[in-house]
Amino acid sequence: MLRYTISRLLQAVLVILVMSLLLFMLIGLMPGDPVENMLEGNPALTPETMAQMRALYGVDQPLYTRYGHWLTSALHGDLGYSSVYFRPVLDVLGPAIVQTAKLLVLTELISIPLAMLLGALAARKPGGWTDSIISLLAFASISLPGFWTSLILIIVFSVKLGWLPASGTPLLSDASMSEQLVHMILPVTVLTFFHVGPLVRYVRASMIETLNSDFVRTARAKGLSEVTVVMRHALRNALIPMVTVLALGFGSLFSGALVVETIFGMLGMGKIIYDAISNIDFNLALVGLLLATIVTLLSSLLADLAYAWLDPRITLK
Amino acid sequence: MSTVTADKAPAEAGRNSVWSKRWERFRHNKLAMISLVFLALMAIACAMAGPIEHFTGIDANATNLLRRFRPPSAQHWLGTDDLGRDVLLRLLHGGQVSIAVGLLATVITAVIGIAIGVTAGYIGGQFDNILMRMTDCIIALPLIPVLIVLGAVDLTKIGLSPEAASSPAVVFLRIVIIIALVDWTTIARIARAGTITVRDVDYVRAATVSGAKGPYNVFVHVLPNIATPLIVAMTLSVGRIILFESTLSFLGFGIVPPTPTWGNMLTNAQQLIISAPLLAVYPGLLIFTTVMAVNFVGDGVRSAFDPRSEAGSRSH
Amino acid sequence: MTELLRLDNISVNIPLGGGFLKPKVWLQAVNDVSLTVLRGETLALVGESGSGKSTLGYVVAGLRRQSEGTVSFHGAPVDGEDGKRPVQVIFQDPFSALDPRMVVGEIVAEPLRLKGVPSEQRLARATEVLGQVGLPPEAARRYPHQFSGGQRQRIAIARALIAEPEMIVADEPLSALDVSIQSQVLNLLDDIKQEHGISYIFISHDLGVVRHLADRVAVLYLGRLMEVASRDDLFVTPSHPYTQALLAAVPRIGKGRRKKEQILKGEIPSPLSPPSGCVFHTRCPRAEDICRRERPALLPAPGRPTQLSACHFKD
Ligand SMILES: Nc1ncnc2c1ncn2[C@@H]1O[C@H](COP(=O)(O)OP(=O)(O)OP(=O)(O)O)[C@@H](O)[C@H]1O
Ligand code: SF4
Ligand SMILES: [Mg+2]
Repeated sequence: MLRYTISRLLQAVLVILVMSLLLFMLIGLMPGDPVENMLEGNPALTPETMAQMRALYGVDQPLYTRYGHWLTSALHGDLGYSSVYFRPVLDVLGPAIVQTAKLLVLTELISIPLAMLLGALAARKPGGWTDSIISLLAFASISLPGFWTSLILIIVFSVKLGWLPASGTPLLSDASMSEQLVHMILPVTVLTFFHVGPLVRYVRASMIETLNSDFVRTARAKGLSEVTVVMRHALRNALIPMVTVLALGFGSLFSGALVVETIFGMLGMGKIIYDAISNIDFNLALVGLLLATIVTLLSSLLADLAYAWLDPRITLK
Repeated sequence: MSTVTADKAPAEAGRNSVWSKRWERFRHNKLAMISLVFLALMAIACAMAGPIEHFTGIDANATNLLRRFRPPSAQHWLGTDDLGRDVLLRLLHGGQVSIAVGLLATVITAVIGIAIGVTAGYIGGQFDNILMRMTDCIIALPLIPVLIVLGAVDLTKIGLSPEAASSPAVVFLRIVIIIALVDWTTIARIARAGTITVRDVDYVRAATVSGAKGPYNVFVHVLPNIATPLIVAMTLSVGRIILFESTLSFLGFGIVPPTPTWGNMLTNAQQLIISAPLLAVYPGLLIFTTVMAVNFVGDGVRSAFDPRSEAGSRSH
Repeated sequence: MTELLRLDNISVNIPLGGGFLKPKVWLQAVNDVSLTVLRGETLALVGESGSGKSTLGYVVAGLRRQSEGTVSFHGAPVDGEDGKRPVQVIFQDPFSALDPRMVVGEIVAEPLRLKGVPSEQRLARATEVLGQVGLPPEAARRYPHQFSGGQRQRIAIARALIAEPEMIVADEPLSALDVSIQSQVLNLLDDIKQEHGISYIFISHDLGVVRHLADRVAVLYLGRLMEVASRDDLFVTPSHPYTQALLAAVPRIGKGRRKKEQILKGEIPSPLSPPSGCVFHTRCPRAEDICRRERPALLPAPGRPTQLSACHFKD
């Protein structure tokens, strides 16, 4: 088991390195070059000083040398400056991570119980009315474009009814907790609806399976109440593999967060990455994307490990 | 010696009956059938955009600032937008793009995914390991941000001339290709899993004993036998890809105006939420209903092909 | 009779597990097996499950490469998985042996297709061979799922015959069939042997069938050859304690099946860590110290020069 964990960790490190190289190459293919962007609009700029700056930043060197430089300084904790914010990249990303974490945690806190509830309801009588309606909802959830749901909610609740703010963060930075929460209502609703569909389908499927299994039949035969059977036995059994599903859903949830943050103007990771790419802020885009990738990778790694700890069969593979 | 006289089914029955049974099952799935009809009507309507323009003399791209924000009328069924363009015609044009991207990218995705998945599954060993680690990497990526970076790539940096890089055909193909680049992993996994089960089945071994080599086994035995899950996966990926395209275009990294798409029409509508909220309703409604219909069809195909309901024809 | 197949010191070691940071484990599925099969002869391979019978058969057919040793046909060594061996295979499960997406005619004609025979000729030939195995011409246009297990096994036999092989490896060709069908297929295999002079490597659990069909019998245990002898020698005067135990487990007609395990006490040891010396010593009633230390060579039994047995205390 320890060996499995170590080997998975080493693999993850390797994958992260490969991903960083890939992203480095991709980001390098965005228009312009970092020096040009940094000095754009500076009238005092002569071709000579441009060339000097280029040499200084190493832009004229081949890709692998530049990557080598970047990696060395990154490993020393220097991730470069954002050309849009004129601040170290990490200073920009720090608060953004907190913002996105709030958004995602709130979403999960609502999605998971909701998915379990709906999944359990649907599984009680597959093919019945409740099941059909819930399955329709799940289909809608995977078919709705998140950006459109956001716009519609804004039109209805902010523009027409005026009940809720259309922005995801309050203007004042020292806004109270409740005020912050009010601003989060619409973004979290959109993300939850986006996130919950696949979860519900999963919970439903695994519930149907466990409800038909022997031990649940035995529990029923013992005369335990339906609620006890569902809560104690079936749901708990569906929970373990749910870890994997949640982890695998993380990448898509993050994609959803990018869209939602952009529309609701929340300065989270997604919005920062989006702005960085739009404004060709090489350093910020690279580190932001890399962080998002690392978190996604780690979450699926943790899920695999959790699964392996819980289910010893896997180590035989 | 026994003979097969007991079995008097018509000689052609075999393959035809499998497919007609599937069609029969699909036909009884109301939601899937309605969706199929809806999609067909949608496709026809979108294809009519050009002819309609021709006969009515309305140009979907012609701006006219005197006719901005017109309400629905006999001439403009859904009114006009902020630049005085006919909304319905633009929606139909946008539909052409979305549907074309969805279908074309699915085909490319399938070709890449099947080629990689089948090769990895058939050859196995280290080759398989490396390919599967690669798909793990891609699956680990948060897709939308990566698609945005790919959408931001400056094509002149990879050797295209500036004119070519901004030509509509290249812009269209680029979005098809970048979506295919990140989306092939789903199909690759399914193809690989299927290949691994089929490659060691006795009928493949029998062919090998008679001198069959890899390509023969793949084309003659493996592909026909893994077609079912691949068809299902491809149907479902059409919907996913239409969503990707519209999201990318909405964010400004997909297909850019003046070519209308459902996604980029919403970018515009976002600015006009207060003055013309309906402009934000139509394109999204079309994305939603189209993707939903595609998913229903996919689900219908899945249950129609479900081997459990094909118990009569015991294929492994 | 002339020698068709010759196996010299064949071993098959299968690597298991082994990944990143994990050492590979080797499973010895077949260990140092030497055998010959004459033209027109039927050699039966018997042994408990996991003894390496299928693996050895696959090596002969070129479906699996041996780790050590040579396979020769007519005295000429063959190498790798080329299709030039005069061998065809009949598998145990008639359901997975036929591609469900192909019509029976195509299935039977496949060996000819791979030799480049034009479509019409090979389909005509397929219909002919289907007739030989007792199926009507219409069968060629149907799909496998329209046939019963016994009929499918006939189709598989037709596919093997069409290639005009000199040898057929039949891997438990009867065990998936209903008892009533078994004898029909067994007779068919017997007829083919008489008519075409084909050699068989016949893998089976069923010693009754082996006694009916085999000319010689090879007994495998944990991948090692325990005993090789003509059918009569082996069934009448078994030399090796393992063979004796197997024979003692054969059910008498009318008495129902008794499980071998009742006579052979103990579990089969794991092939990953086979016992030292004689691999059978953990279960052998005659085992002594030397059995744990020294691996017995495969040598003639006392007074019977053609009956080879690998035991320190053979009869
Ligand atoms: N591809 C493989 N991977 C791992 N182990 C294998 C493989 N093929 C065979 N083995 C192992 O090799 C040993 C011999 O297997 P083989 O199938 O040849 O036995 P067998 O005598 O045919 O058994 P059975 O009567 O059950 O068919 C077994 O321990 C089996 O588990
Ligand atoms: S060598 Fe010893 S253990 Fe092996 S079979 Fe003979 S008597 Fe038994
Ligand atoms: Mg076997």
